[in-house]
Amino acid sequence: MHLINGPVTPGVISEIVAKGGENQECGAHSLFLGQVRRDQVDGKFVRAIEYSVYEEMVIPEADKIFKSIMSEFDDVKTIEIIHSKGLVKAGEISLLVMVSAGHRDHASKACAKAVELIKKKLPIWKKEIFEDKSGQWRGNE
Amino acid sequence: MDISVLFFGVLAEITGTSRKHYRDIKSFGDLKERIRDDFPEFVHYNFRIAVNNKLVNEDPLLSPGDTVAYLPPFAGG
Repeated sequence: MHLINGPVTPGVISEIVAKGGENQECGAHSLFLGQVRRDQVDGKFVRAIEYSVYEEMVIPEADKIFKSIMSEFDDVKTIEIIHSKGLVKAGEISLLVMVSAGHRDHASKACAKAVELIKKKLPIWKKEIFEDKSGQWRGNE
Repeated sequence: MDISVLFFGVLAEITGTSRKHYRDIKSFGDLKERIRDDFPEFVHYNFRIAVNNKLVNEDPLLSPGDTVAYLPPFAGG
């Protein structure tokens, strides 16, 4: 798991995809990209999300997610997680998850499961920043 | 004992700080009361507690120098 300041850029995404090719046992990579949505709340549009992270806790919690996925899906070879901290604008990427496996079935199921666990288990918080610069803290529904 | 307390998300905004030190703490219950006195608004929010970066249940045993974190519901992704 890696945290990066600001958005997960196209450059970072292509590096991760290229790295996937190093593992030639894999026949499938499932890639999830979470994007900041320009939601409308009470007539105001979300301009960005400010992420804050409990960094000392997030790495051990991500390790637990890796272990849980690897034990549930035995065809999975590697899992990459990159999450933003700080400000990410609407339309930019704040989360990348890539699961590489021997075959597509485990790759896609494990990727979906990893995203669910990331949202439930990682100590990360988000504040929506609106176009008028006001803000509101938001939970995961 | 001395305890460091970390606040995250909306709770850090309420306290105006992400870290505060408490002295002469006798137990977790004692710390909870001190924090409730300092920040009465906390009663309106849900949160979980971690001690030394691990989630704990209702009434953890504290040791001198421990770090207690107040964590609002997680919202990653």
